[in-house]
Order: sequence, then structure tokens, then C-alpha cells
Amino acid sequence: MSKVSASGQTIGQSVPRVESEEKVTGRLKYLDDLRLSGVLHAKILRSPVPHARIRQIDAREAEKLPGVAAVLTRDDIVGNPAYDSHYGPIYKDQTIVASDKVRYVGDPVAAVAATRPEIAEEALDRIEVEYDELPWVLDAEEALAETAPVLHDKVEMRREGFADVGGIRPKDGTNLCNHFHLSMGDVEKGFRESDRVFENVFTSPSAQHSSLEPHAAVASFDGPGRLTVWDTVQNPFVIRDLLAEIFHLPLSKVRVISLNLGGGYGSKLYPKLEPLAAALALKAKRPVAITLTREEVFQTLTKHAARIYLKTGVKNDGRILARQCRIYLDTGAYAEIGPRVSKKSAFTAAGPYDIPNVEVDSYLSYTNKVPAGAFRGFGVSQSNWAHESEMDIIARALGIDPLELRRRNLLQEGSAAITGERLQGLALNECLDEVAAAVEWGKRAEPKNPSLARGKGVACLIKTTVTPSVSSALIRLNEDGSATLYVGTADIGQGSDTVLAQIASEELRIPLEQIHVAHSDTDYAPYDLSTSSSRSTFHMGRAVQLAADDIRKQLACLAAPLLGVSAEEVVFENQEVRPPDGSAPGLSYKALFMNIYGIKGINLFGKGLFKTSTKHKDGEPLTSSFWSIGAAAAEVEVDRETGQVRVVRYATAADVGKALNPLFCRQQLRGGAITGIGLALMEQLVYQDGLLINPNFLDYNLPRFLDIPEEIIPILIEKPHAEGPFGAKGLGETALIPAPPAIANAIEDAVGVRITDLPITPERVFLAIQRKREEQSAQAHLTKS
Amino acid sequence: MGLRPFEYVEPSSVREAAQFMAEHPEAARIYAGGTSLLLLMKQGIVRPDYLVNIKKIPGLRYIENGGGTIRIGGLTTHHDLEVSPLIRRFLPAITELEPQVANIRVRSTGTIGGNLGFAEPLTDLPPLLIALDARVKVAGPDSERVFPLEELFSGYYETTIEPHELITEVQVDERKPHSGFKYLRFSVGSDKPAVGCAIGVRLDPATGACVEARCVLGCVAPTPLRVREAEDVLRGNPYRAEIAAEAGRIASEACSPLADLRGSAEYKRAMAGVLVGRAVQEAFRRAEGQEPEGGRR
Amino acid sequence: MIRTIRMTVNGAPHEIEAEPWETLLEILRRRLELTGTKLGCDQQVCGACTVLMNGLPVSSCSVLGVDAAESEILTIEGLAAGGELHPIQKAFIEHGAFQCAYCTAGLILAVKALLDQMPAADEEQTRHFLAGNLCRCGCHLEILRAVRSLSGQPPQPEEA
Repeated sequence: MSKVSASGQTIGQSVPRVESEEKVTGRLKYLDDLRLSGVLHAKILRSPVPHARIRQIDAREAEKLPGVAAVLTRDDIVGNPAYDSHYGPIYKDQTIVASDKVRYVGDPVAAVAATRPEIAEEALDRIEVEYDELPWVLDAEEALAETAPVLHDKVEMRREGFADVGGIRPKDGTNLCNHFHLSMGDVEKGFRESDRVFENVFTSPSAQHSSLEPHAAVASFDGPGRLTVWDTVQNPFVIRDLLAEIFHLPLSKVRVISLNLGGGYGSKLYPKLEPLAAALALKAKRPVAITLTREEVFQTLTKHAARIYLKTGVKNDGRILARQCRIYLDTGAYAEIGPRVSKKSAFTAAGPYDIPNVEVDSYLSYTNKVPAGAFRGFGVSQSNWAHESEMDIIARALGIDPLELRRRNLLQEGSAAITGERLQGLALNECLDEVAAAVEWGKRAEPKNPSLARGKGVACLIKTTVTPSVSSALIRLNEDGSATLYVGTADIGQGSDTVLAQIASEELRIPLEQIHVAHSDTDYAPYDLSTSSSRSTFHMGRAVQLAADDIRKQLACLAAPLLGVSAEEVVFENQEVRPPDGSAPGLSYKALFMNIYGIKGINLFGKGLFKTSTKHKDGEPLTSSFWSIGAAAAEVEVDRETGQVRVVRYATAADVGKALNPLFCRQQLRGGAITGIGLALMEQLVYQDGLLINPNFLDYNLPRFLDIPEEIIPILIEKPHAEGPFGAKGLGETALIPAPPAIANAIEDAVGVRITDLPITPERVFLAIQRKREEQSAQAHLTKS
Repeated sequence: MGLRPFEYVEPSSVREAAQFMAEHPEAARIYAGGTSLLLLMKQGIVRPDYLVNIKKIPGLRYIENGGGTIRIGGLTTHHDLEVSPLIRRFLPAITELEPQVANIRVRSTGTIGGNLGFAEPLTDLPPLLIALDARVKVAGPDSERVFPLEELFSGYYETTIEPHELITEVQVDERKPHSGFKYLRFSVGSDKPAVGCAIGVRLDPATGACVEARCVLGCVAPTPLRVREAEDVLRGNPYRAEIAAEAGRIASEACSPLADLRGSAEYKRAMAGVLVGRAVQEAFRRAEGQEPEGGRR
Repeated sequence: MIRTIRMTVNGAPHEIEAEPWETLLEILRRRLELTGTKLGCDQQVCGACTVLMNGLPVSSCSVLGVDAAESEILTIEGLAAGGELHPIQKAFIEHGAFQCAYCTAGLILAVKALLDQMPAADEEQTRHFLAGNLCRCGCHLEILRAVRSLSGQPPQPEEA
């Protein structure tokens, strides 16, 4: 841990989080800690059935209960001129509360705002709902069959949606939420030219983000036509946009405030509670607060379950000639951001390999399950599970070392992505080499206990970041030389406040302690697309740099005449401006202002706008403003008799461009790896008869201290990115993605069984070992006779 | 989610508590550590009108050794057991088991009386206590009785005692020389065990043969399951891997696990067999003095 | 029926009027405005609501207020004495043992209970003791380092 030096150079320092003391003393306020006076408390009545028409809903008894201020049902939202009934980030298939149908167990049907939460809860019991149940479907492929029950008859598109998903459409009258197709070359030709063709199916289940902080929102109509929402949200500006659309308000009249979040991991993007809280607040004419229970969080958003069919053609020397990916993603009852998940993950579905012929078809289905949306990894974990598992299947079949097989096929400098973009600055080789060395690839440990076996496996990844996008930053240089940053980035625990302050500190030569990052508040901060997609360090960091640049220019113009130099010559050091040659003494920013203006209260404002596009400057296609590149290697110990898997040692490498804060980078790698291990070995949402049966921490297994490997080795590779702040790019998702295949590959190395379905439970391993024994003894029997 | 309202009763004696329970057999629940009860109340599965907090009753929280019998008061917590030097000395298998029970906070408040009285099927302590031939003392308004712990459980969340009877004491006799006990559990993430097994053996020091055996499974039947046929296989023999495997096979066939989130019935059966085999080996080692009682620390 | 509950919280005596069905967590957060202790799961699994009751870690979401009567409660707010951070708090900062920090109050108190019981706790003991505290950001190894630095175990090689 090092101190900040006033001469700058906080970049590259493992500075602790600026809010550290508040966090370890319990003083930091999260949304549920706020005590706002006069708020009503809201509770949600949720559908007990997976699919049904609402025949009748009667809330009159609930309304009569003393202490109930407002009840919201479809009667309020259908045909109400005050707001739209339907909304959604891409498709407008969600309603504030159910209008004609309920589409999953947990779907909000009605809501009550009351003076106390207990009264709201009691009021829910008094709402009578009659359902006409409909058949339901829980599988993404089955949902596409002719005879499958259809969830949405017709879906309206959002008029001014996100630029990167324009043109995406559902197939009306079916459960095909979206079909996305990409191709390069000719896969059939590629298969014909191959020596061997492999076909495999891989599945991964629905999972839950499990942020320790549940979703919460407080909505208040402060005056006529003025809405304020305090929100546990990662993208306040998108919420502002959508609320403005829904409630027919100009953007200036909608304010969304995001405090520090207790974890997000993608679950706190796009509207969840806000429209409902606002609609209740409008009806009750008082602010409304709602915090979800843990069970409700499980019923709010999940990770897309996937089934992926891979067909890969290779030459005997291991070169991959063709890869065909057919992906089925389960988006649950509502599209949410699913179409973007489907599209973005298709870009890298064939893996970080130079394959001349690739075809990807990604099918996104509606099913009667909890809606799926953004989850750290954004569709890439699902496809990475598939192609990185298959690489090892191919390697073993051809008798090639799995590491070597990858090396022979990796994307290289100048390789073309499937979208046509020429890729530069790839550090895939380095990442793979480093993780392999870290787990001593090639050496096998022999446990003393004969029922234990050890093995090692690797996996690597490439992922895009949402492009195009926009991030803007505003810096106010205060009259005393300190600075305030106004950014829309939400600090969800990743340390963005600190890193952005480090960048500002470095650029403006102001000590870190004198920089304050204001909470993301859409009334003050300029627009930011979101805190997601591992994008904030790169995009908002760059915006902060541009804003700082703006301030330096202004300072230079002010200072030049006083220092007797041209503006370009002005040097910034130690919160001062000075000439390059010491020909005049330096002036502190504070003294500079007094000198020029003679009065207190002068601020400078610097603004930085960083916008990315889908074309390079030379017109060449640009798929992603930066690519997340990484690799992982796992050493596991398998108990042959029980199937239990223990990850002994785990190495995770990422190309971070430049480690602005090495501690934070390592935290992302270790933390992401741990969630990856959870997804690999124990996490799954389980449905039975249309009902999610493990919506809580007792029955949904999360990694605990006993599940953590003895060692997680984080490796930071730095290949500076031309546009990133000081060369930095993002890495929030890199460590999580390759964990499951690295572990599955290690298990195959240990006990010779291949698991193609996540999670890799002890039972699955046990059964696979049994099957293998039976096959082997059957074979031995055959060879004998 | 807040708890629904209830009437709160704080008896100051066992008699008072038992009396109250006798008067409100349906509407009242005994509240000890609350680790199981409050969970069910929050889920709305149990909605008592009265909660009878017996933790204020003096004289029910103790661990003593009197004349070769260790007596544990009904309000003794898991944590008390975990850190007790007396338990470590005389019943080290319990000391070894306790850190695996649920989590540290549940152990701070959960009581042995509550654990037994709740008859939760996914639990660790009862199988080991049964293997140790524990007895339980139960008190009503005017009476007390003592009987083998094995006879306490009658089904999922069901005991043989009346609603107005409190578990006031658990008694375990000091182990005889040349005996060894081992509890093994299998779990898939989570604080709850999926399969548990407690093995005890006592050996003839001259021949190394087992003269007395206990095999009790947990989580794989409506109650802790004592598998006497497996015990028979161990009796009369010194340790051999095949004998242990046979005991495991018998145990695995004797149990009737339910398929649930933790695994299929077949898998749990198979794990019961594996655990028995491993626990038998360890119990023999301990009885022979090869391994320290209570395992290595 | 409202009861008067006397308890000492962070060294200060309190008399609280509460219903018997109010949990200790609700009393701490709502009546005493001590919001450092968090609600994570309401099932005693996650540990975000950990406080020390008479020195032992308990799930305040599942302890009735009436049960905490005559007890000494320590919450995260009570750890730093006279403006000086407790060594555990300092160690957490030094070793980067938190990210979003929603689990941190509970974890710090669990570590206090651990070191009070086992001042020289080794890694295995620590992992077992803390197994009941969840951290979704995945700061487990940093937390183990922090505990190591407090328990007198030899430090692991430092990272840059």
C-alpha cells in the first residue's frame, strides 16, 4: 500500500479504496440504510403459477385496509394516459404489473403501498386474483416447437433504443425472441476439407447473481411532472431514459440517483422496481420505497441457461478449418437485455481462434421462467464453456497437448474477427503461457491417497465490450485547487470512484485526497451508458482524461501571460502551473484564480465526451472498442469414490492494458475466479413443475471459504491499448468466464471423464466415472472373448 | 420479511413451561435457539400463537461428568459442546463433529435440546449420539423419564414425545477402552449435510477383533437410521477392507434417501456406502490407538 | 405486547420498547439507527447480519430482540474506539479485504470472534470458522491474508 505523491503518479499504485474507512466502520450508506421521511412501503403480489390469463383481479378489500395508501393493478396501468403500460430496454414486452397474463411464477401481479411494510404485506393477502392457467414451457428449444405455448403474441419495439441492437426483431406469434446469424467463409466446405469432424452438445443452467445487497428503489414525484428515484442501479441514465419514456416526461424532469452498490454483477441494470415504485408514488401522491427479499431477488433476474451444439472440423495436425455453433439461450418470460446478450456473445462464439469458416446461429427463446438478463460474462461464459471444453475433446482425440492445440489455432496479430475487424494487440499467447507455467503444466502430482486423482486444464477467452457507447465526465476545479468529479459510473464495489479519482489526480496533479467523486446522479453527472461490460475504466477513464485535458487547456490559457510563456509550454506539477525552465515561480491553482479574478468563488469546468463507433477512423469495421483477453489454468483433485472435486490451485491471467490499480485488478481476477468456480461446481437454479425451487441461499449453493482453492494466482499482462487511459482496458469479466471449462478439462486430465453439463456436481462426476468403469470392463470382456 | 405477531411467554421453570405447552398443544411452540423454528416461521410454514422461550429457565445449560456419565443440559449450545474441555476429553468425536454443524452463528445459539426436539432429518449430531448409545431425559409438568435417544425419533420432524415434554438432558456414558468413533458427512455446498454416518467400534485388545459396533446413518431416512446388519458384519472381525466395504454395501441398501437438490436417491445411497467404508476404517484406527481420538488437529 | 428490553449496545445501555417478534437486526437498524449491520438473506446463511452477542457471533436476523435482553451486543459501529480503527479494520484496508463491502461488517465481527477464541488461528481453522460468511465479490483470499497478519502466522509473499 503506498501513499499518493502530490507530484502525481498515482497510476499504477495499489491505492486503497477512497471509501475504505466508511466501509470498514459501517458508516457507508447503501440505499436501504437511508431514512427518508414520509415514505410509504411497498410490497408486490406475485403470480403463483407459471402461465395464465388473469380472468379477474379484485383489490377493493386491500384498499380498505387502514394504512394502505395505494394499490396498483392492471386497472391502473391499462389505458392510463399518465404512463405507458409496456416498456423494456429493447422490446416493450414488460408491464408495470401484469395486464393480461402472467408468464412466470413470481411475475408481479399487483402492488401495495402502505404506511408500514407489515400492512402492505397483509393487504396483499386481501387481493383476489383468478387465473385461467395455461400450459407452460421451461426449455429454450422446446419453446420453439410448433406446439409450444406462446408467451407473447405480439411484441412492440422500443422506438429509440440502443444503437447496437437496432434491427433486432422477435418472430411474432412464436417464442423466438430473436435469431441472430453470423458467418464467415463456408463451413460446409470447411467440413469437407477436414480430416475429422467433432459434434458435441454443452449445457449450462440458469444461475443467479446473488449480490449481497438486494434490489431496492425509492420513487418520489416531488412536484408536478418531476420524478426522483433513488436506485440500486448500475446504469442510472438508461433508467432515466426509460422512466422518461414511460411517464411521458422530458429527461430534465427525471432524476435517478445511485449510491454505492452492494454488488451488481449485471443484476442491477435496466428497469426492475423503478416503474412500479414510480407508478405507486404517482397514485399515492407520496414517496414509495421498496426493498426486495432474497427470495424476490431470485424471482427478478437470472443468467441465461444455454444449450450449445458445436460442430468443428479439424485437420490431423490440429488446425481448425470450420466451426458451426448453434446456440439456444433461455431468456425467460421477458426479453430484458437478452437480444443483446445473444448478439454480442455470437461475435465470439467460436472462441479466440483463427478459423477461416465459421457459422453462428444464436436463438433466443421466451420460456415461463424468471427473466434472464445481463450476468457478468454476458453470454460469453456459456459459449466459452462449449468451445473450450470441445478444444480439449479434440486435443485428446488427436493426441495433441490441449495447450499446444490452442497455440496452433489462436487468433494472432491482424487476424480477422468474424465481423471483419482486424484484431490488434492480442495477448492470448502470453496469457496462456503464463497460466500454464503458474500451475506447472506438464507435471502431475500424485496424491498419497489412492482414491484421489489430480489433473490440470486450461481455457482461454475473448470477449467484446458494448460498442458503440458513450461516456462523459465533468470535472470541477474548485477555487482551492481541489477537484470534484461528476460521473455516471456507479461504484458497485469494483472501485471505480477510486480509479477515476486516480486518473484525475494524475492528469491534474492534484493529490488523491483532494479529489471527490460525486455519486452518480443524473441531475449533475453527464451521460454515461452504464457500469457494465467491463467498460468503465476504459470509457469513463478516457472521458475523465478528456475532461482533465479541457481543464488544463483553460488553466494554461489563464496562466500563460502570468508566467510569460505560451499556453503550450505551461507545465503542471504539484497543483501548480509553472514555466518549463523555472524562469518564473510556480503558481498554485488557488493563487492563479485569485491573481486573475481577484475574487473567491471561481471554478473551472472541464468536460470530456468519449464516444465509440462501429468503424475505425479508416472506415474499417470496429466490433469492440477493446477486447477482453485472458486465460485460466486449474489444478483439481478428484475423489474417485464420491466424485467430489476440489480446485487446488488456479491461475488466471488477463491483459489489462495497464494496471491503473494493481490491487483492484488482482481483486477482479481472484473475485471473478471464485464466482467462476461457483458456476463450475455448484450453482444452478432448479425448476420443478414450473416453480423455481431454490430461490434462497440455503438451497442455492454459493462458494464459501471451504470451497476456495489453496491458491489463486492472478497474472496481469500489460499490452497498452492505444485509446485506453494510460493504456488501460477493462477486466471485470475476464476471470470468471474460463473457469468452468478449465476445471472440466482438469477433471478429464485427472480421471478421464468428460462432463458437458454445468454445474459439475459430485454426482455427475461419480456417474461419469462409473460409466467409464463399466465401459472399460465391457471392453475388456469383449477383447477377452 | 417480518415475523408475524405472536404472544411471548417466558417460563421460569421446566414445570411452568411444560404446563403451558400442555394447555396449548397446537398453538404454542417451544423456542430455544430458534435456529430451526424462526426459519419456518419466516417462511409462514409454522404460525404459532405462542412462543415459549425456555432459555430463561435456569439450570438447563451444563456439561458435567458424574460417575462415568457425561450429562449435557438441554439448553447447552453447539458452541458449548465445541469448546468444552470435558467433551474434548471424554467424547472427542463430538468435538470433531461440531465445527461442521451448519455455521458458527447457528452454533452460537442452537441448543442440543432444540436440535433433537426438532427432529430435522438433515442434521449431524443425532447419528453420532445414537452411535454413542446416548440417552435422553424428557420432562413433563409432573414427571421425568429417560430412554435411549434412538427411540426419540419417529419420522420427518416427528418425535415420540408429547408436545408438553421438554428435552432437559442428554446422557452419554464414558467410552470403554479400545473403542473408536468417527462421524463423516457428505455435503454439496451449503450448511446442510446430504448424507451422514457415525461408526463406533470396540475391540478386543488381544485379537484386534471388533466386539461391539455401531453404524448409524443420517439424512438418508425419515429418522437417523441404525443399521444393525452392518454392525453384525463388523462384529467378531478385525479390520479388513472387504468387511468395511460389506458394511457399506449393507448400509447403502438399508437406507431410503429422498432425491432432492443435494442429489438423487441412488447417489446418496452410494455415498452412504462410501462414507461407512471410510468411517469404519477410521474408527478401527482410533480404537487401535493408531489415530488420536477426535482426529488430528 | 410491547416489552421493555434492556441491552448494552457498543458499550452504551439502551432501553428499547419493542414487540417480541422484532428481531435484533430490526431493532438495531430501525430503532437504534445502527445501519452498519445488513440484511442479506434472512435465513442465517449469509452472515451479513452478524453481530457479537456476549462475545459470540450470532445472526441478528434470527435472534429475537427479547432474547438479547441483558446482553452485550457489539456491532460494527462499536469496533473503532475513540476514532482509532480497530486492528482488524486496518488489516482489512491494508489487504484489500473488501470490494462492495456489503458482507464486510459481518465478516469483520466474525474475524473478531475468531481471534478472540483462537488468537493464533491457522488457515484451516480460519476457513472453517468463516465458512458461514458469504462474499460474492470473492475477497476470500484477501480476507485470509488479513487474518494471517493478525494471528501471528508468517506472512505470505507480498504482492507488488
